[in-house]
Amino acid sequence: MNLETNGSSQVPLNEAAAAEVQSPAGERVLFTPPIDIYETAEGLVLIADLPGVSVKSLELQVQDNKLTLLGRVRNQIPANARPLHREYEEGDFLRSFILSEDVDHERVTARLNNGVLEVVLPRAAKSQPRRIQVDTD
Amino acid sequence: MPVFRWRESWDPLRDLERQVDRLLESLPFPFPRFDRPFPPVNLYELDGEYLLTAELPGTVAADLELSLSGGVLTLRGKRAAPAGVAEEQFRRHERVWGNWERALTVPDRVQGDKVSAEFNDGVLRVHLPKAAETKPRQIQVMQGGGP
Repeated sequence: MNLETNGSSQVPLNEAAAAEVQSPAGERVLFTPPIDIYETAEGLVLIADLPGVSVKSLELQVQDNKLTLLGRVRNQIPANARPLHREYEEGDFLRSFILSEDVDHERVTARLNNGVLEVVLPRAAKSQPRRIQVDTD
Repeated sequence: MPVFRWRESWDPLRDLERQVDRLLESLPFPFPRFDRPFPPVNLYELDGEYLLTAELPGTVAADLELSLSGGVLTLRGKRAAPAGVAEEQFRRHERVWGNWERALTVPDRVQGDKVSAEFNDGVLRVHLPKAAETKPRQIQVMQGGGP
């Protein structure tokens, strides 16, 4: 399938290929956080669950056309604690997305509250056709 | 298992999203952790206390209710959906919302009146101090003198 058949209908936000995802944290477990994406009149909003991640331990970056979120979870379990019951593992969170030209990369904003990240991705203003004055000699 | 919910919006994207979906399904690591109770909890034993932790992103402390009765710790709360967003606006939906409740049996010998809890960055920590060990009572066995 040719994705570029129509330049005006690119994917605004697309999951980055898994092969590009590498563990930057050594032996720490890396999780893919669950996300929601919804559309508004202004663009897209991405919400990600990052329990245990604080503003200080979150790295969110746009490089070229790739949006990457890496949330590090500070280990708060004392070393001598003996696990009796485990339903989740502690680890860091990583997920990447490809932004298309439909997203205004410069105006991306984000907030983190109670372990939930909200990224606002405004839609880029459509470029207007520019009228070129034609003169005659 | 469909990872995304399909919505007709913005773009004719659905074919591509199905491809992405297939890609995600083949990822080697667990994605996302759907098949588990909410909230997931861990329980640890320390020298002086038991420590219970729960992942509750998006919950505010005011919406969290904890009670301990008859050796059962009940956690109750609410995870709000994004406010004012209609269902048809969603392009992907992987997070869970709504009211939830979990009842957990706590270890014996917990000082119920000294239980404390804190909530930070979407993680709840409940401290359950151990009660003082009751001293093992020695029972002297007397040699019977015979019937």
